[in-house]
Amino acid sequence: MASTPTQTPKDPSVFEPRIVAFLCKWCSSAGSDLAGVSRMQYPSNAVPITVMCSGSVSPVYILSAFNKGADGVLVSGCHPGDCHYLKGNYFARRKIFLVQKLLSFIGIEKDRFRMSWVSAAEGAKFAQVVEEFVRDIRTLGPQRKLKAKR
Amino acid sequence: MVDIVNIRAHAKDLLEKGTVKMVLGYQRGTAGVLAEPAFITDAGQADHLVWDPTCVQNLALYLVNEKKAQSHQRDPDTRPIAIIAKGCDSRAVAVLLQERHFERKDVHVIGVSCGTLGVVDKNKLSKALNGRVATKVEPHGTDSFKVTTAEGFVDVAAADVLADRCLECACAYPAMHDVVFGEKHEDRGYPARFTALGQLEAKSEDERWAYWEGHFNRCLRCYACRSVCPMCYCPECVVDSIELMVDPTTSADEKANRIKWIERSAVASENSMYHLVRAIHLAGRCIDCAECERVCPVDIPIRMLNNKLEKEAKDMFGYEPGLDPELPSLVASFRDDDPNSFIR
Amino acid sequence: MSSILKKTDLGAWAAALEAEVFAPALADGVWAYQPVAPGANDGGVALTHPNTARPPKNFAFPQREVLYTFEQLKGQAPKLTETLPNPAPVVVMGVRPCDGRGAPRNDMVFTGAFDDPYYQSRRAKTAYVGLACNTPPSPNCFCKAVGGSPSSKEGLDVQLTDLGDRYHVVAVTPRGEELIEAGGKLFAEAGAADEKESQRLHSEAAKCEQRTFGDLAAAAPALKKNFDSEMWQSLAKACIGCGICTFLCPTCHCFDISDEVTGQSPMRGERVRTWDNCQFPDFTMHSSGHNPRETLGARLRQRVNHKFLYFVENNGTQQCTGCGRCISFCPVGIDIVAVLDRMIQA
Repeated sequence: MASTPTQTPKDPSVFEPRIVAFLCKWCSSAGSDLAGVSRMQYPSNAVPITVMCSGSVSPVYILSAFNKGADGVLVSGCHPGDCHYLKGNYFARRKIFLVQKLLSFIGIEKDRFRMSWVSAAEGAKFAQVVEEFVRDIRTLGPQRKLKAKR
Repeated sequence: MVDIVNIRAHAKDLLEKGTVKMVLGYQRGTAGVLAEPAFITDAGQADHLVWDPTCVQNLALYLVNEKKAQSHQRDPDTRPIAIIAKGCDSRAVAVLLQERHFERKDVHVIGVSCGTLGVVDKNKLSKALNGRVATKVEPHGTDSFKVTTAEGFVDVAAADVLADRCLECACAYPAMHDVVFGEKHEDRGYPARFTALGQLEAKSEDERWAYWEGHFNRCLRCYACRSVCPMCYCPECVVDSIELMVDPTTSADEKANRIKWIERSAVASENSMYHLVRAIHLAGRCIDCAECERVCPVDIPIRMLNNKLEKEAKDMFGYEPGLDPELPSLVASFRDDDPNSFIR
Repeated sequence: MSSILKKTDLGAWAAALEAEVFAPALADGVWAYQPVAPGANDGGVALTHPNTARPPKNFAFPQREVLYTFEQLKGQAPKLTETLPNPAPVVVMGVRPCDGRGAPRNDMVFTGAFDDPYYQSRRAKTAYVGLACNTPPSPNCFCKAVGGSPSSKEGLDVQLTDLGDRYHVVAVTPRGEELIEAGGKLFAEAGAADEKESQRLHSEAAKCEQRTFGDLAAAAPALKKNFDSEMWQSLAKACIGCGICTFLCPTCHCFDISDEVTGQSPMRGERVRTWDNCQFPDFTMHSSGHNPRETLGARLRQRVNHKFLYFVENNGTQQCTGCGRCISFCPVGIDIVAVLDRMIQA
């Protein structure tokens, strides 16, 4: 179970990663809810965006999140075989794989973009995925490569 | 060897019989050594057609444009269009068929084999000629070109002036065709597919980012890469919002707040968004005609982005675009054993 | 009064100028104006370029210009902050005569009837050191056909003429005289022989073979007459509708203005001006969805007419300087010289 303090430090010199998490409504979003109602402790750095299906996450959402300053992007959906729409997550798997390869090819750190399978019953797994992601991004530091210089 | 006389005769025959409404091919231009697209509708003009290593354009683009134009015509001529297609171009036609852009009966593919050669790269050619201006390029044997300049003839090794795409080409012979000119050569004796990509992949993460950042920085956003691409046929591209529905009730706020994925400013962050979105959108569709890279006025190696995804699709999903029009597309299909280990 | 500068002293001159100096350099396969590193020695600058891919118009008219920033707290009036540029002086070296002639044409657009402080503040700080063309740098050069010449001084502050191992240097404007003065002893007074040699090269260059469409004065009436001609459609048949011809043009100056929001609470952002392009579909798109210039033929006509008809009517000169970029870089070989030739013949 997560043990990171939930209190966001106010010290601006401490880097607080900003993560955009695209969660499918049927599994991962419900999983995150479960983590919440079970009062699990995990970092609050992930901004959840609920989508109908991981298969509906267009690569442009991911790129746009990086463009607008996300330090990491997470796409999370139902386990293979569990998709509410039967095969949306299989399509997502291919697409996300390609996006990941492309991002890493142009020199974006591999750890900034992740995909996970989290079911509605896996509150603990969701907390763990986020915790690990935040930990890894903390080591990488802020994402500046794709961020719009505004 | 491909004899242009045979192509002209075939084109003339098609037009005389009226079995096609137009022959898309190449003719001599006024702008330089490269041939320019020809739209032959009259059998009498068939003699304008040329075929040589300066026929660089992928004419499949005009099949798309013609289809778009037809949708606006009240009484369109629905006869097929004949297209002179190199190996890469014929694969582009196959992808368009796969995407149901038109039907097989709508197009008559006049395949031409590049044999052991291919098309020239204008920049490489002018470098090889060291200031002299080429006025004509002809194949010479199996591995060189005879280049005509004002000062006389020069023999140039094909490997020195062939476009990068041609050096790594695996489909110099048009697989899909109604009629074909030229022979198939199995071993072309050039570098293997993805050689250039491999060299780039071998660089470190920081080096790769420095490489791409420099290139993206230079982009003018003239969109020539998009405009020349037969697969970039979206009526509305992610970079321009021309299709926002406006009616009397649309408020100023709504107009102002319409989704702008990518700003117009040609700055590195927006340029990289554009190129990445385009690369992803072409995954499993790009057939490596590399027209995008050829037309770029500031020499951005766009082909490498598309190559990367082509290679991943081939290695991981066993998918090669433009070989079978009946195949489901790369991102609209999946297999149970697709890679899964990268997911947590 | 003219002077002589040894080629090996060009870098030293650049270093002596109290300005950011740019000169053409080959980077990633493209000739582009690159900053000359401060303290560059003789190897730093070498004007051996054919012509740059991009013209030097962006020094006065950058592709992106912030006009002002805005900020608005909820329920309050927006606060606007002007961002007039105050750039350091810039000296651009190796400007070809065609690109030099582009500058006064852009000045006409941004000065006079419409005074543009953004353009003007940059333009006032920009000086062009030109390089006369002894031989045409591109097979698609046609400066002579549009009233220019390979040794035109128009728009330049200083003109260099390549005499082999040295340049013959002529100050064209007071700013040019200052630049030469800054070089001090690097410049020697030109002898009569040098001046004669320079003149000989200019008149040789003027005899060079170039592309042409015949009578320049015939262009405007021909275009007017052929406005509704079917030829436009057929000439633009191969056009792919990209922006190469206009973005690489030394005189194309159309722009778009948009707001780039950078933060939501408070809402803040920048109003920016970016290059726009008459070949793009959204250039003339109305918010109703109607597009008066829907076809590529209409867009090609607009570009040619703007340069050879409307600009002539408004400003008494062509808005084309014959650099030939739009011909050389066109992906499908659309050729403005051939277009004009056809219109005049018709």
